[in-house]
Amino acid sequence: MNSMERIGLLMEGKLPDRVPVICNLLEQGAAELGMSLEEYYSRGEHVAEAQLRMQRKYGYDNLWGFFYVARDAEMLGCRKIIFAKDGPPNVGAMTIRSPADIEALTVPEDVGATEPFQELRNCIRILKAEQGGRCPVLGSVVASFSLPPMLMGMDKWLQLLLTGPRSLCRELLEKCSDFCIRHIRALRQAGVDMIAYSNPVASATFLTLPQFRELALPWIRREFEAVGTEGMVYFNGGGVITSQIGLIREQTGVGAFYLNPLDDIVEAKRIVDGKALVAGVINDIKLISWDNAAIEKDVARIMAAGAPGGGFLFGTLVMPLQIPEEKIKVMLEAAFRHGRYPNNATLPAR
Amino acid sequence: MKQSIFNRYYEALLDTDRDQAIALLSGALDNGATPEEIVFEVVTPAIERMSRDLTKDLATTLSQHFIAAQISEEAIEMLLPLFSVAPEIRGSVVIGTSAGDFHGLGKKIVRGCLRAKMFTVVDLGVNVPAERFVDQAVTLGASIIAISAMMVHTALGADGALKVRQLLQQRGLESRIKILVGGAPFRFDQNLYRSVAADAWAENGIEATRVITELIKEVAPQ
Repeated sequence: MNSMERIGLLMEGKLPDRVPVICNLLEQGAAELGMSLEEYYSRGEHVAEAQLRMQRKYGYDNLWGFFYVARDAEMLGCRKIIFAKDGPPNVGAMTIRSPADIEALTVPEDVGATEPFQELRNCIRILKAEQGGRCPVLGSVVASFSLPPMLMGMDKWLQLLLTGPRSLCRELLEKCSDFCIRHIRALRQAGVDMIAYSNPVASATFLTLPQFRELALPWIRREFEAVGTEGMVYFNGGGVITSQIGLIREQTGVGAFYLNPLDDIVEAKRIVDGKALVAGVINDIKLISWDNAAIEKDVARIMAAGAPGGGFLFGTLVMPLQIPEEKIKVMLEAAFRHGRYPNNATLPAR
Repeated sequence: MKQSIFNRYYEALLDTDRDQAIALLSGALDNGATPEEIVFEVVTPAIERMSRDLTKDLATTLSQHFIAAQISEEAIEMLLPLFSVAPEIRGSVVIGTSAGDFHGLGKKIVRGCLRAKMFTVVDLGVNVPAERFVDQAVTLGASIIAISAMMVHTALGADGALKVRQLLQQRGLESRIKILVGGAPFRFDQNLYRSVAADAWAENGIEATRVITELIKEVAPQ
């Protein structure tokens, strides 16, 4: 059974041979090709080649048609990206420094035609040509509500969001929402199979439930109404989301939730009640310090919480470069083993 | 009267309603409360209550911490010059984000909360080299260097807290200056602060005030 079949069965409400495993190896690709991160991310071919190599080496169930989060800001006009030696690239200059910059912010009509998208498209094209139909190619977008921090800084965004002026906040969110919608369309046109809709600032780490309902949910709804839910995965992006899942599911119909390591897998599965997929996520920062036995134990815990009854994927979050390759292998081997379903196992009819 | 203002002020913080919180403080001043009463019976206790609520698992969110810190800072700036006698300062802290880290939210929250609790705080900004942390701490006589890092590589990197520790050792300052770290990686692995040779870590800005208060007790008198 290949990765596409595995995830396909899951989406049909059936049990595959094992729990699919999503592994977010990104910057590791540069080391795989023996180049600096700046050189690595300069060409879509580099990213595609490394994604293919890493997927072959480790055997997990996804390929990333994605570079780094700050790429979204580049598509919206950010001209300075800072490349670290040992971590993800960052926005180096804010696009929005004054209210006038919000008014002046222009959202490209065709996000796919922007220069930063070209290499991404090349990457996705190569991945699809090499593994299309066998291994899902994932893309990622930053939700409108979480995009402003990359354009103006997190503190300025929270300030505008919480203290106004409301009209300016609304204008910015409308532009970010238009961008998000067009970005999703561009990624689909480029051929990705699934898209992680990343929304950390809307998470319960940042917002109370009433705030989420009032401030963030209308924009989430706007975006899902525009693009539909096909292939969309609601991705925590770094904050906890269990308490929001019911509302998001009810208001958007999205069919998959990618949890935070601090979320409650059992509770999330109870909330979706078999009507959406849930990805339970390992606390991968701990992979740096955990020994093999601790990794094995935590993978087993996650699988025991999520695998029964199907509808479940195992995932990672940030996968820092500092995790030794050996520990990645230990985690994945444990995930393949603990996530295996008995031969011919089926789910009871719902 | 103060209890009623405190309750309404705390509610405004939880509602992230800046205008209401500031209006309550201004109203109290107009109605004859002294600046000292407003700071020590409303603003500072609100930060302490948020800290207590956190330890009781009454989860508050980053947006609430942000507004609480921001309003506290605003209130302190507005009211301190009106004090009849300068308040006793509880200690000095230099704060900034680790070299290579441009995420300023966490340190801004810590800064506001510390100022509300009568600490002197010097904010060195983002992407601060280790040498600058130490030089500034020495110049200002600060007992605490607080380093915020939102990414694993800036938290664990050789140019961050690890280098600050190395410099403190080299200059014989370890008994006089303590290192506090904070930020997402430390929340996901609560032992990580040991790997970067910090003296302590804090889960969030509100908690940082409590940890710094404890840490400062360990510092040798200068």
